[in-house]
Amino acid sequence: MQRKLMLVVMAVLLVLGAGAQEKIIKIGTLFPLTGPVATAGQRCTAAVETIVDIINGVYPNLDLPIAKKAGLLDGYKIVLVKADHQGKPDVAKSEAERLYEQEKVFAIIGCYNSAATKPASAVAERLQKIFMCGASSSAALTEREFKYFFRLAPTDRIESYEFVEWFQELNKSRNANIRTAAVIYENTEFGKHAADEAKAASAKAGIKIIADVPFTPGATNLNSEIQKLKAANADALFGAVLGADYSLMVRTMKQANWKPKIAINYCSGYQDPNIAQQLGQDGWYFMGSAGYTPEFGMRFMKAVAPVEEYFKKKVNVPFDSNSIQEAVAMYVLALAIEKAGSLDTEKVAEVLRTTTFDSPLSMGGKVQFEIPGGQNIKAQSVISQIQNGKYITVYPYEYKDGDAIFPMPGW
Amino acid sequence: MQSDSIKRAIPWMLSLAVLALLPVTGLLRGSFLSHVLVMILLNASMAQAWNIIGGYAGQVSFGHSVFFGIGAYGAAYAVTNLKMTPYPGALAGAVLAAVLAVIIGYPTFKLKGHYFAIATFAIVEVFHRLFMIWEDVGGAVGLDYPILKDGWRNFSWSRSKVGYFYGALILFGIIFSLVRALEKARFGYYLKAIREGQETAESLGVDARRYKLAAMALSAAMAAMCGAFFAQYNYRVDPSMVLSLDMSMRFVLITILGGIGTLWGPLLGAAILIPLQEYTRAYLAKLGPGVDLVIFGLIIILVMQFQPKGIMGMIDAARKRRRKLAAAGNEHEGGRQ
Repeated sequence: MQRKLMLVVMAVLLVLGAGAQEKIIKIGTLFPLTGPVATAGQRCTAAVETIVDIINGVYPNLDLPIAKKAGLLDGYKIVLVKADHQGKPDVAKSEAERLYEQEKVFAIIGCYNSAATKPASAVAERLQKIFMCGASSSAALTEREFKYFFRLAPTDRIESYEFVEWFQELNKSRNANIRTAAVIYENTEFGKHAADEAKAASAKAGIKIIADVPFTPGATNLNSEIQKLKAANADALFGAVLGADYSLMVRTMKQANWKPKIAINYCSGYQDPNIAQQLGQDGWYFMGSAGYTPEFGMRFMKAVAPVEEYFKKKVNVPFDSNSIQEAVAMYVLALAIEKAGSLDTEKVAEVLRTTTFDSPLSMGGKVQFEIPGGQNIKAQSVISQIQNGKYITVYPYEYKDGDAIFPMPGW
Repeated sequence: MQSDSIKRAIPWMLSLAVLALLPVTGLLRGSFLSHVLVMILLNASMAQAWNIIGGYAGQVSFGHSVFFGIGAYGAAYAVTNLKMTPYPGALAGAVLAAVLAVIIGYPTFKLKGHYFAIATFAIVEVFHRLFMIWEDVGGAVGLDYPILKDGWRNFSWSRSKVGYFYGALILFGIIFSLVRALEKARFGYYLKAIREGQETAESLGVDARRYKLAAMALSAAMAAMCGAFFAQYNYRVDPSMVLSLDMSMRFVLITILGGIGTLWGPLLGAAILIPLQEYTRAYLAKLGPGVDLVIFGLIIILVMQFQPKGIMGMIDAARKRRRKLAAAGNEHEGGRQ
């Protein structure tokens, strides 16, 4: 009798166990974890991971709706499936296919390099799956009018117009006399687009481009490129130079003993806190766009600091403009899933297309995607300058931490 | 004689037929496995194309990514700029690659050994730079495919890899059949003779330059066809994707790993290297950045250390050992009697 009872209990437990399936939502991250911009890719992955930790746990100290309860919907936990595209478009494409079709991820967040984001997000569009893009800035990405692609960062076009507006403001308020400009850029999807936008925005403002200097990323020597810039000696320099190439560019400028009046950079090595630290004083007085700086965050984005503490435990540096955009991508996706109340891709995509999200982790505090295309039209960036090792916001004036040091002091 | 060659062709045709039946078995349902199989067939075809000039003719070229790139750009240009199907572009790419191979080969074949290899290195760099600044083909940004209707007309399949699998199998079948035929043809013997000693071959009346140029042209055209497939598969081409030393090394590495100058070496090399590369990247990347590459590199070092003649060398050595043992066994038996 006892044996029979045991068997019945075991059978019931088995049935219950089978019914209680683990509630998980798989999200893929696709970043360059190896290759020339590996550290940036690793920071982006860590940023997404930080938000996932917050979603899956309970963090009453954080001022974010997703931190107050564990998981999404009715107890779904997020599991990240991390992939490495090595900075190669073909690898990004095949890894995106693997993540969607083999790993069955609900969405992918990535890919940092615009050239990798392009084919990976095309896979998503063909499969009608959601692709969240944090930091890739090529304007071409949102000009494809995809339906399942959502990009958080401002485009290089928005940044170019902001840069030129800043030059004009300096001309007006500081008598800067910026009339000519040069562009140096890595010859890739990102660099080429950024340079084209810089040229277009400059032309509209009557600033003449007098040197156009592309280079192959991963360069070991930029002497001839910098000599070309020195010979042209433009008033302003636009730079679209990633990772270690940025350090090389700054050091070569020092060797050549040349600086323009103002050097301004797109989403690039300029924004990397590790590179800024390595360059020390050599990196001071350069300027660039910034979607976030710790100094700016302390004043205008107070919800970021406690989240940043968890992020720092993973990578030992604060958020930078790129990694925070990937964190926001995960955050907004989580909000959309909650609002849709389901894991139906169409429903979640529709929420992403039609909702204006409150995003305390974003500059400006809001996220809204333009349809078609998927560009976050609330994306903002400021112009910062490295002064005494810190990123100081100098423009727009309503956000400024300090005055710009202009022109750049010599070496 | 003719019936002999038909007999020899039967196992080869049967193998292709078995491969063609793979999708029916449902094995290709898992997308990643089918991706790996497509990559094996493509890379085996690429390596075999290189094997014609590098293995059979003994001219180690590091410039094959140029021909591969021309094929890729041919197909992509036809689709993106001319709004055509990829086939005329792929064909034009193959012809152009063959012509270019002759133009490149004519002066560089005067160089011998390492000098020829070094010259081909430089050619990759020249073409990479050229395509970087050539705005008609997208410059550094390259050419991106629009979203096309699936099917053979566009050679594009977004929801299943079965179409690509058959495409790769056709490419593989053509290139391997060609090299199979070449092995038994006079042209193949001439190439082998040139590899073993150009002066000796010439003294016997073989026009070395002519045959090397023909081999280079054939090899380049085949590499270009592989490039066209690569562009169709990735829906994109840019100079760094195809016209790189990395890509050139892929041609060489797979052949050397499998067994240079052998018919089955390229297939064996691809069958080992590609799954290793794809699976280590996919499943070991999470152990930490670069762990997959470390493991991948270690395995290659071990194989090359153990058997520099590649996998085919290992198989040959194992066969010889077995024969020796059998012979020794027979002798022993004979001694007893």
